[in-house]
Amino acid sequence: MALESTAPLMNVAKRPARPKWRRIFRSKTALVGLFLVSFWVVAAVLAPILPLQSPTKPDVMAMANPFPSAVHWLGVDILGRDILARLIFGARTVLLVAPLSVAVAMIVGISMGMVAGYYGGRVDAVISRFSDIILAFPVLVLYVVLIANIGPSVINIVIATTIASAPGIGRITRGLVLGLKQQEYVAAARLRAESTLYIMLVELLPNCRGMLIVDGCLRIGYTIITIGILGFLGLGLPPPNPDWGGMVKESTTVLNVWPFMSVEPSIAIVSLVLGFNLLADGLREAWKP
Amino acid sequence: MNMEVRNAQKSASQFDLSNGTPCTDQEPLLQIRDLRIEFRGQDETVVAVPGLSLDVMRGESYGLVGESGCGKSTTAMAILGYLGRTGAVTSGSIRFDGEELVGASPRQLRKVRGRRIAMVYQDPMSALNPVRTIGAQLAEVPHLHLGAGRAQALEMARAMLRDVRLPDAGDMLKRYPHQLSGGQQQRVVIAMALLARPSLLLLDEPTTGLDVTVEAAVLDLIAELRHRYQTSLLFISHNLGLIAESCDRLGIMYSGELVEEGATAEIFRRPRHPYTQGLIACIPDVESDKHSRSLAAIPGHIPLPHERPQGCLFGPRCDGFVAGSCDRVDLRSDEVEPGHQVKCARWRDFSRREEAAVIVPDRDRDAGDAICLTNVTKLYGTSRGRSLTANEAVSFSAKEGEIVALVGESGCGKSTLARIVTGLDQATSGEIRLADRNIAELQARARPKQLLQSVQMIFQNPDSTLNPSHSAAFSIRRSLIKFGIRKGKAAVDRRVRELLEMVRLNPDLAERKPEQLSGGQKQRIAIARAFAADPNLIVADEPVSALDVSVQAAVVTLLLDIQRANKTTMLFISHDLALVRHVADRVVVMYLGKVMEQGTVAEIFGGAAHPYTQALLSSIRSTDPDRSKAAHIQLQGEMPSPVDVPRGCRFATRCHRKLGDICDQEAPPQRRLSSSHEILCHIDPTATQTVSDGATLPLNITGEPAND
Repeated sequence: MALESTAPLMNVAKRPARPKWRRIFRSKTALVGLFLVSFWVVAAVLAPILPLQSPTKPDVMAMANPFPSAVHWLGVDILGRDILARLIFGARTVLLVAPLSVAVAMIVGISMGMVAGYYGGRVDAVISRFSDIILAFPVLVLYVVLIANIGPSVINIVIATTIASAPGIGRITRGLVLGLKQQEYVAAARLRAESTLYIMLVELLPNCRGMLIVDGCLRIGYTIITIGILGFLGLGLPPPNPDWGGMVKESTTVLNVWPFMSVEPSIAIVSLVLGFNLLADGLREAWKP
Repeated sequence: MNMEVRNAQKSASQFDLSNGTPCTDQEPLLQIRDLRIEFRGQDETVVAVPGLSLDVMRGESYGLVGESGCGKSTTAMAILGYLGRTGAVTSGSIRFDGEELVGASPRQLRKVRGRRIAMVYQDPMSALNPVRTIGAQLAEVPHLHLGAGRAQALEMARAMLRDVRLPDAGDMLKRYPHQLSGGQQQRVVIAMALLARPSLLLLDEPTTGLDVTVEAAVLDLIAELRHRYQTSLLFISHNLGLIAESCDRLGIMYSGELVEEGATAEIFRRPRHPYTQGLIACIPDVESDKHSRSLAAIPGHIPLPHERPQGCLFGPRCDGFVAGSCDRVDLRSDEVEPGHQVKCARWRDFSRREEAAVIVPDRDRDAGDAICLTNVTKLYGTSRGRSLTANEAVSFSAKEGEIVALVGESGCGKSTLARIVTGLDQATSGEIRLADRNIAELQARARPKQLLQSVQMIFQNPDSTLNPSHSAAFSIRRSLIKFGIRKGKAAVDRRVRELLEMVRLNPDLAERKPEQLSGGQKQRIAIARAFAADPNLIVADEPVSALDVSVQAAVVTLLLDIQRANKTTMLFISHDLALVRHVADRVVVMYLGKVMEQGTVAEIFGGAAHPYTQALLSSIRSTDPDRSKAAHIQLQGEMPSPVDVPRGCRFATRCHRKLGDICDQEAPPQRRLSSSHEILCHIDPTATQTVSDGATLPLNITGEPAND
């Protein structure tokens, strides 16, 4: 009820507005998120030209005292490899695989949701029940079963996350489309003989954009966790590629002596996931009508 | 004949309202002085109300009128201290019963809110908690505010439900809000507001979402309860017609300040401020049609808080603006006579604006039928094999260049009919003949391009008629391209500009996003889009119902001008009878999916023969204080569910002139009163002309039985 008191503020929006995404600069949470994400992105992109140690070549001398030092800022791992370099090169994989799998999952999910929501009826029932079945599966089991059977590789991780995430994305899209298709501008498009595909792509999809981008951002975060878990279970990218989850796992045996070896990659995962989550929050704020 | 009936039943309560001018030496119940309300945004501060002063006396009903965005709701919220986190009263005072509310502690405010000042909101559904029963929500009020015990509180709730004339109060207490109709919900909200016996009741557009007949009943109820409980009212509305009958005094609010204030009758008889005059002139009047009077729109729009001009805020929209006197910073309210203030530097120079002369020529009477509906029926299957009857055997036709209005309360099937005609839905049976084709069962997808082009639609909701992701001109452009009206980018762009000019919009708005446009502007774009296809028939589904009165007048006038210039046939769907009178050539009155009465505007408004039409007409509020106020015919109960239509006459369950069993048992015959006037009723209208309301009528059925 108290909402009515904000009415006069809405008038402000009638002036030429700034692009919505730029509003995220107003939110502190979003800025923190943006900083964390860009830190890793910049580091990953610049990894080959940064003055880093080799991520794969062991420094046998350092193994005696693996703690952080002037040479190895974050120390070395159990095999004497520089942790900082491995984290930054690991970020390259994570930041490639996670957005890629989410993008593929988005394409599949949005198509499913769009068709289900727009046509409704039996089509909707079939797609929705199918999604329910997949969503009812324990996701981790799904990953393990899939990857253990088809072997770990970038493409397989993408396939696995697509199967796991697409139904959720589909559900969100379907919900949005159910509401949007009742809008009068959709009726107006039908009255000017627009094709169904045109209505879906031009009239409906742009209005789902805000929610889907926010959801995608969150999903990138979850997928990073998933990739970490897969790495931890030994189903990540094959060694000696640096892999954050794998790094945590390799050093669990020496957790009592050298805990930093597990903690550092964990912090890397946390910071990146947190970054995407905060960014999603900020985008949500920015897109709020 | 209606006047006879009405005069005979002239209700005393209508007059009680206007003689309540309070004595001036009394201290006002609510005294607002130089109130300034600001909202703080991230980048800027918006001054919603720059300086407002008004008094509400004890027992008085004060009407605050203005268009949306003028700050009237904000003022009500400020009185209750509900300005949210961003809003604040930055100066001025609100004294209620001698107590200062500005800067009062939350504890103090809690004692006042609900207990001594209560509020009735616009949307009853959001004012009631959907997960608690009516009884629990009502009993809470005496329990919290009056310290009543549980049983006692419930008893009070039950008594109050009877007072707001809800049937079966005991049963009502156990129900949930969604089980009530909109009108019943609003009655519950009023009951809740009155339970604590407040001395001031704030009504914020309490009937905006309701059907006309329900609105009339709710207003009568408020008037009656106000006298019984000695409550003062602050009645906020954009509808001058409502205020005219319900309030003793009026304040006309414009962009956050009062431009005129005075006794209701005085303001309507001699409005002094050009804005008030404009507001009155732009309301369609039941007494006049488009052949006798055109609606005078106020040009421009209400200034946004940051656009307020210096001096008179109405200056930029005023014909009589004179630099040097109207833009003085020290412009003050002037007293026209005791109790009548006007904030206008030149009020002495303005007499009431002359109404525009007859301009609309009669249409060509020999035109052929543009569209002809015969026995159109639409059934929707529901679960459990029952069917919902949206339309049953609807037959009427529209001649070329004619405007046929479809009138009825929500749920009468008029919008379904619009969707069938445009092809957004298909009829179950029946025939719709358009250009020698039966289009009743052709959906838009199945219609050839040429047919789609010839039938276009103007939608109701300005906020959803344009795609928020695309520019304003996007859909106009698409329409021109899809129907091949213009070829080549340059030609299309030129036509878009022409169309925008045709709807009197600056062509530079073409690339704006809908969120940067006002409701009126969006609706003009929608009109331009409909006419872009060069249609023969336009279906306009409540095209102006969501707009402010002054904007409404401008958009309707524009629509009529374009329609006349293009000789387009139009189906105009509306629940606003005064507007229909102004717009239409012929009127079709629908109730629960069936046509109850149809005839020319003159026949319907001059001599409605069907009881339902009569009830609808009596619910129109007049703005003319000199006209005798007729009693409103109050319909009993609610419209029956379209799943369970009454066996006999559909209107029998609510009819105030029911004959007896025949109405419940037998379908009424169709009676032809003239070549253009038909009703569906057991009452013989030739007999009803002279018989007064409520008397037993002689049975004399001569007409053909209806085909249902």
